[in-house]
Amino acid sequence: MSWLRRLFHKSHSESQLDKELRFHLEQQIADYIAAGTSPEEARRRAQQEFGGIERVKEEVRDTRWETHLEILFRDFRYALRNLRKDRRFSFIAILALVLGIGASTVVFSVVYSIFFHALPYKDFNRSVVIGTNDLSSVGGGKVRLDFSPEEVRAFREQNHVFEDLIAYARMRPTYDDGKSIRFFSFGAVVTPNTFDYLGVPPLLGRAISQEDGRPGAPPVFVMNYRLWEREFGGDPNILGTVFVLNGKPTTLVGIMPLQFNAFGANFWLPAAANYSWLQLMGRLKPGVSVQTSAADLDAIAHRMHKPNPAGVFPEEEFAIAPQTLLDSLIGNFRKTLYILFAAVLLLLLIACSNVANLLLARATAREREIAVRATLGATRGRLIRQLLVESFLLAAAATGAGCVFGYFGLKVVVALVPAGTLPEETVIRMSAPVLFLSLGLTILTTIFCGLAPSLHIVRGDLQPRLTGSGKGAGESFRHSKLRGGLVISEVALSIVLLIGAGLLMRSFLILTRVDLGFDPKNVLYFVLNLPPSYNTNIPGTLQRKNALTLRLLERMRALPGVTSVAELAADPPPLQYQSTDTIIPGKPHTQPWETHFEMCSDGYFQTLGLPLLHGRLLSEDDVSAARDVMVVNETFSRQYFPNEDPIGHKVKLDIFDKPYFAAAAPHDTYFEIVGIVRDSKTRDYDNPSWQSFPQAFVPYSVAGFNWRVFMARTSVDPSSLLKNMGQEVRALDPGVQISTSGTLEGSLQEFYRGPQFELVVLGAFSFIGLALVIIGIFSVMAYTVSLQTHEIGVRMALGAQQTNILRLVLLNGFRLVTAGIVIGVCAGFGLTRFLASQISGVSTTDPWTFGAVITVVVLVGLAACLLPARRAARVDPLIALRYE
Amino acid sequence: MPAQTKSELLRGTLDMLVLKIVALGPNHGYAIAQRLRQISKEFFTVHQGSLYPALHRLEDRGWLSAKWRDTDTGREAKFYDLTSKGRKHLEIEILDWEQLSNAVALILKAAE
Repeated sequence: MSWLRRLFHKSHSESQLDKELRFHLEQQIADYIAAGTSPEEARRRAQQEFGGIERVKEEVRDTRWETHLEILFRDFRYALRNLRKDRRFSFIAILALVLGIGASTVVFSVVYSIFFHALPYKDFNRSVVIGTNDLSSVGGGKVRLDFSPEEVRAFREQNHVFEDLIAYARMRPTYDDGKSIRFFSFGAVVTPNTFDYLGVPPLLGRAISQEDGRPGAPPVFVMNYRLWEREFGGDPNILGTVFVLNGKPTTLVGIMPLQFNAFGANFWLPAAANYSWLQLMGRLKPGVSVQTSAADLDAIAHRMHKPNPAGVFPEEEFAIAPQTLLDSLIGNFRKTLYILFAAVLLLLLIACSNVANLLLARATAREREIAVRATLGATRGRLIRQLLVESFLLAAAATGAGCVFGYFGLKVVVALVPAGTLPEETVIRMSAPVLFLSLGLTILTTIFCGLAPSLHIVRGDLQPRLTGSGKGAGESFRHSKLRGGLVISEVALSIVLLIGAGLLMRSFLILTRVDLGFDPKNVLYFVLNLPPSYNTNIPGTLQRKNALTLRLLERMRALPGVTSVAELAADPPPLQYQSTDTIIPGKPHTQPWETHFEMCSDGYFQTLGLPLLHGRLLSEDDVSAARDVMVVNETFSRQYFPNEDPIGHKVKLDIFDKPYFAAAAPHDTYFEIVGIVRDSKTRDYDNPSWQSFPQAFVPYSVAGFNWRVFMARTSVDPSSLLKNMGQEVRALDPGVQISTSGTLEGSLQEFYRGPQFELVVLGAFSFIGLALVIIGIFSVMAYTVSLQTHEIGVRMALGAQQTNILRLVLLNGFRLVTAGIVIGVCAGFGLTRFLASQISGVSTTDPWTFGAVITVVVLVGLAACLLPARRAARVDPLIALRYE
Repeated sequence: MPAQTKSELLRGTLDMLVLKIVALGPNHGYAIAQRLRQISKEFFTVHQGSLYPALHRLEDRGWLSAKWRDTDTGREAKFYDLTSKGRKHLEIEILDWEQLSNAVALILKAAE
């Protein structure tokens, strides 16, 4: 480690070298004297031969590599001094990089966390969930996710595509704690291979194994961390406790770790061999695509379908549609991620052009300095190293700050992600690969942007730059063209970003301002969870359900603050997806006539504020007597009874005749239309836009299969009444519970959160992009003006007015902005169609949005040119010319 | 000066020659230069600007070790000595050189 010692004891090693060389010199002199030369002559000869002790020292030093380290240190110091001297440049360059890198770190982190680490399960990217797409009928669920035991067995035994297959079903058992029987948390029954399949070791105890699936095996279950913490205080001694679940003593054998929430369940039980309806998840063999598996499973299902027309796969026309586990969990959010990814790339490009521009301008300004240094003996390698060090310092500062910015930006973005769009298991965080990617990006950016122009200068002929007189004489034509090109591309990129954000904003405004046709203010809803004693296969359920509903509505209406109450069957508006084919005598049709239907109480229209247009509404008598009457909306009337009064006509809802509604629905029943109400808007799960569907309303009392959802319009804050509602429910039947609840306004807000997220993030990106464009235009114009000071001075001396100069500079800048706008708008026309699935109510080439964006960019461009232009106009010709 | 140009040509072999000289016994830079000249019968005159960088380079690589000692005349000088690593390296160098010069000699003879 002698070099290390030398590095820190530099003076020591220097004096030793000096001593060594002097010894040599004196020895030589002594030898000459001994040979008979006079001392004077000996000294002269020896020194001449030695040829400069300092030069020898320099050559010795060059053999040591710590010298190079020292030069590097010196380069760093020099670069730092340079960057400090030109503070405005350094600040702007670093700011641009930080914004670009910070934003991309955020988006890369989100994308990486979701696509590669969304779930803690083994090879989750190869897991698919299987659904049956019903192609023939409208109504019911269009995709069936659960399968009968025969269907499960068929898939399990005949498939060629899965490594392993698991099946599960969510359920909610009763829990007998010795004092009372109540509902336990939501859990799932799973096939015994499930925990091997998911491959997550338990936190405590053991997971469910194949042994637990054997007939006669003692019943066991496994609990998740959250339930364990919340209900049992995280007590490890709870293992081995027997819980009475659904009347069966079941032993708790394990606790799963925090990040394990498979199937949205809080605990898991092994499924009995013949458990009725199970969902399926399979791990594809390596190399098998989702499409291949779809074909294989579809073939199996259709083979089973033919010999068993009634039993397995009851759908008339269907296709098996597997979907990756991740897609089934994040759904449309994947598209949002792609859009964010594209947006951040645009932003990064803008930031890079900006930095390239700044560095280019700076390199041109430094041509003379570099030429002088080269003339004074700096080697080319030394000059390049010098410039590299400067770029590296910029990159390092930007990476550091960019990561800090990214860290906090990520927190904001994660907080903005709408609840429920990501699986509970997903943790979005910065990770080493993402940080490395950002680091690589920064270094590449700065080196490309910083080194290319410097190299160009270093390589060129230095002579003209040294002798070139006056400012700007050394500036090459190529550089000014390149800078102009960079400004144009910055403007174009930001136009594309702004158009994207603008379209989302227009769409969002339309979405939130739309007249829904009903009044969502001050409406509370809650869904009842009925105990197994209300199962539809028990005789008399319909009557008991109706009696419960009727009494609960009475009690709710009696509460202070409640103005009207209603019962309905499906989700509260605006979600409505129970639909059916519509059969009207004398009106045959081949394509299904899709009608959204609601089974409701007489207070429904009043509670939602749906005005009656014609005929009458459902009456209390209609409901209590379960009369076969129906109210329809305008769209229904217009589509199915054009130029006709529908009142008095009879209509059958095809779905009631489906075998799976068995005993609980009115078969072959025609409902008489008694009234028409105004349209209200609804939307699907997948489609963000509002639509008016044909709707039909029948009394809830005609069918017993439905769940029971209750709504109350209130004159006070609706959520304050929820507690009272809960008391009323318990007073009627202690076995009944409220499962979910909320306000209509609240659920509307939830719908808006998806588009809102995109809007906020994309809006922030385009704002940053615009800021970078301002910086870009401003710095280039300011630089050009400073180069043209002399020319402007001459013009003014020859009689040009201030306004002429102002116009000259503004026009110059504006040419660039206009070119950028033209290119950006063309690109926008081509690219916005990728946004089509995310926006509604506005065309992807909406002229208003395009117009607004162009206006904004024009104004911003003008503003950025104005300051340099005014500076140019204030040039004093005397001073400008004196610098000759 | 023909010797000067030849020593320039042989610059690559300077390291080997220095090692060989030092292998004869520890010595300081001046003496090394002198012996190089004497042994080669005035053929090599090594300039200080080549010698000292070479000595420091060889020391850096761990082939030479250096120590400050008194000379016969009682003056303090930096003495270089061969390390075991340096000895091994020298052997390899000499072997390489012999092979090279044999090969060159063969070709020259054949050409006659």
